[in-house]
Order: sequence, then C-alpha cells, then structure tokens
Amino acid sequence: MTMTTTRSSYGPLMLKGMLATVLLVLILPLVPYVFAVNTDASSPAAASVPNPGADLWRAVRQRDSITAGISQVKGVETGVLINPSGKAWLEFRKEKLIPYSAYVFAGIASALLLYFLLHGRIRIKEGRSGVLVPRYSRYERWVHWIMVVVFMALALTGVILLYGRFVLIPLLGPEGFHVTAQLSKWLHDIMGPIFIISLLFMAFSFFREALFNFKVDGNWLLHAGGYLGGKHPSSGKINAGQKGWYWAVVFGGLALIGSGLVMYFPNFQQGREIMQDANMIHGLAAVFVIAFMFIHIYLASVGMEGSLECMTSGNCDENWAEEQHDLWYEEMKEEGRIGIPSNREQ
Amino acid sequence: MAAMKFYCDAERCIECNGCVTACKNVNEVPWGVNRRRVVTIKDGEPGERSLSVACMHCADAPCAAVCPVDCFYTTDDGIVLHDKDICIGCGYCFYACPFGAPQFPTDGAFASRGKMDKCTFCAGGPLEDNSSEEFRKYGSNRIAEGKLPACAEMCATKALLAGDADMVSEIYRKRVVNRAQAALGKGVQLRNRNFGSKVDMKGKATN
Repeated sequence: MTMTTTRSSYGPLMLKGMLATVLLVLILPLVPYVFAVNTDASSPAAASVPNPGADLWRAVRQRDSITAGISQVKGVETGVLINPSGKAWLEFRKEKLIPYSAYVFAGIASALLLYFLLHGRIRIKEGRSGVLVPRYSRYERWVHWIMVVVFMALALTGVILLYGRFVLIPLLGPEGFHVTAQLSKWLHDIMGPIFIISLLFMAFSFFREALFNFKVDGNWLLHAGGYLGGKHPSSGKINAGQKGWYWAVVFGGLALIGSGLVMYFPNFQQGREIMQDANMIHGLAAVFVIAFMFIHIYLASVGMEGSLECMTSGNCDENWAEEQHDLWYEEMKEEGRIGIPSNREQ
Repeated sequence: MAAMKFYCDAERCIECNGCVTACKNVNEVPWGVNRRRVVTIKDGEPGERSLSVACMHCADAPCAAVCPVDCFYTTDDGIVLHDKDICIGCGYCFYACPFGAPQFPTDGAFASRGKMDKCTFCAGGPLEDNSSEEFRKYGSNRIAEGKLPACAEMCATKALLAGDADMVSEIYRKRVVNRAQAALGKGVQLRNRNFGSKVDMKGKATN
C-alpha cells in the first residue's frame, strides 16, 4: 500500500516530464529540416554547359519507346538504354514523402501534447480499487514487448535514413552521419526478418479479440470512444480504436514486409521500377503505422491512468476495467476471475 | 570551368566492347561490376545501332539528389564522384539513375549490397591522387595524370568520345557535317542516316 501512495504522488510530475522529453526529442530534429528542404544543391554553372549527348539521348527516348536491346554485359536491365522512371520516384521521395511525413509526425505529436496540456491524464473516475483483474498473459506480454523492441528499432533506423541527410548531417557531419546511417541500415536489414516472425506472433495472438463486433464497436466509434458525448461507450476486451490499431499493424506490417523483401533481395531479376514502387509503398506504410503508433504510445502510457500496467504486470485495476472495458469486465466477473492476478493464474 | 562529358557516336560504334574491357582492365573492378556496357538495339535487323553507356556525369545528378548520406560530389571538371567511405550501399542511386550506372558488388549474405561502384571518368575518388587506397576503392586516376578515360582512348573507331563538352561537341559537329555532305552526294535523305530516324527503324527491338 505504501508503494502505491508513493508512486501516485510522484507519478504525474514524472510522467509529464517524460512526455515533454519524448515529444521534444521527436519534434526538435524536424525543425532544421523545415529550413533545409528548399535549398537546391544543383549548381547553375555546371548546368550551363550543354551535354553533347542531349540530342542523341532525346532521340533514343523518342524512338517509339524502344530503349531495350541486348548487351554482352549480363545482368538486370543491362539491355535498357535509358529508363527515366526514377525521376517520378525521386520527386515523390524528396518533395512529398519527406516533407509531408514530417508534417504528419509533428502534427500528431503536437496535437497529443496540446490535448495533454488542456485535458491532462484520463483518470480512473472511481479511483483505484486495489483489486486486480488479469488482462494479458505472460505470453501475450512477451509477444507485445518483443514487437515493441523490433518495431521501434525499425522505425527509428528508417526515420534516421529518411531525414538524416537534412537533419543529422548538419549536426554530425558527413563522416559522423555515415556511422549512424551504416549502423541504421544494418540494423534495419537485421530487424526486418525478425519483424516478420514477430508480426506473425502478434497477428495470431491478438486475432480473436481484434475481430470487429459491429454493434459494440460501431457504437464506440459513433461516440469516438467517449471523447464525444461524455459517457464512455461499452467495449469488449479491446475497444474499436485498439482494434483499428491491431489491423493497422497487421496490414501496414504486411505491406512493409512485402515491399521490404522486394528491396532486400535485389537478386531476383526485379528491375528498377518494381523497386521504386516497393520503396514508395514502404515509405507510405511506415508513415501510416508510425503515426498510429504515436497515438498508441500516448494512450497506453501518459494519456490514461491504469493502462500501461496491463502490459507490464498483466493486470488492470477493477475500476479501470469497469470504466474502460465494461463488457469484458462482466465476462471476467461471470468467469470468477476478478482478483486473481495474471502471474498467479497459470 | 570545364564540364567533362562522354559522347557515343551511334554511327561509329561497332559493339566491339573494347571500352568495357578497357574499363575493367584499367580500374580492376570487382567481378560482377560493370561500369560501362554496350547496348545494341535491333540486333541483326536493319537499322541496328549500338551505344556505349556508363555514368553520364549529369550536371544535376539524380543519384546525388536522392543519396540519403549525401556521398556524391561534382569535381571542378564537372565529374560526378562519390565517397565510398560515406556510402552505405542502400541502392537508392540505382533506383534514381536512368542509365543504370550505379553498380553494387554483393557483400555478405542474401545478396545484400556492398558500397556502390560506378564510372569515375577515370578520375578516382576523394582520396589522395593515385594512392594505392584510391586505386583499390575507385580504380585508376588518369585525369590526375593528364589523360582521358581509358574507354574513350581505347575506342578503335573513335565512336566513344570523352573530354570537355565543348570540344566533344565540336568534333561531333564536324562529323555530322561530313556525313551530311557524303549522304547528299549519294542522294540519300539525311533523316534516314541518323539515329533518330523512324523511317527504316520500325519493327520490334530484339531481346
């Protein structure tokens, strides 16, 4: 009992500090990028000298699109004289993916910060009862936390490779960033296959509770999870928002795995265009899942009292269960599982 | 400021692959890496033409624009080079390049990419000129010795020209004029004699 009082008196301050630190770390690196994005590296002096081959290559491209022939050099697309498809991919990455993903991340992070500053933490209305309800088994928690490590490693290294040139090179210098980027690339390559296994476990472990129940989840979505209309709508073991997160991870993850494998194995004769498309899908899916992850992390930690402990200890408070997941709470009550902590259950 | 460029004369190239061999020999590139290749379209059909392709040393290079570690730089001669000590082997330059110039030696398991290798216009890299380390990483630095790229110097028909863009253009311009004179003398229409002609180059490309 003493332990709980100590924690609750220091908790809010510590959590606010943690939140502020995390958000600052996420937003600050994006700031110099806003200034760096519009500078163009091409020098007008070099461009002013006409390329003697310009007319020839224009002629090659205009020859009824026949740019493929044969070459004694064997390899992927070695018979292709010119393939200008890279321009569209380059422009997408430089002018759309990089700036807009930064806006999305910064926007969601600041929206969450604003909400937290205005409304604060969502408290357990009745206070803690002290009675525990088992919520996630040891196995489910392992599946979750392994996924956390793998996903965070992939997200962080991916984001470093996406923004690094604009954000980290000015800070670390080219040689310094090379080390970061090389490590990021290796880690991304190593974690990718582990993510496949991790996602499979994740998808199977939480599949049943993530299936949509149209009546309950429709009502939950209609009330936006209680943010609109005051009263908290009913929900099963996990609510519609959490189910959305599950499916975002599963489908986003599958898109990431599929597109990642295309780029990971360049030895299956796939050409540039397939790899460009794979890279586009990879970037879009990653931005989508990472943006969703911000909300998940917020609500599962500082945003709501009593939610983080479900995944750490495996148990939640009885009053929290009744307020947040009433239908599941009723089920647990009927089964007589209230008050038996997860660890002692097995 | 000079701008070094290649130009391959499709009327002269006979697909002997001498440039490819010269490049491999002079730069001792790893197995599987081809900095230069000769592409033949309509092989064995009327209107067959060959072109030798390597890095074009673009003024506004897409590889440099997309590189996540910014390892490319343009020399005072307008040659696009890259720093292998910075390159991480991500392959983005290969996606972006229209000419298929960036090459990747396989490095480690699963055919993963090593550091990118491409035509340097025989100008080495950012290391000390003609040092053994520079040769090992980037091949020979003929530009530092006052020589032109080996591929162009070895070209038997002088189809492949390399050098300052203005000088290369001047040489090619003279050739075009001479050809036009010869063609008109024989009564052949000029447009039938050039690479962009569509008259006698119909039919599908051979693969």
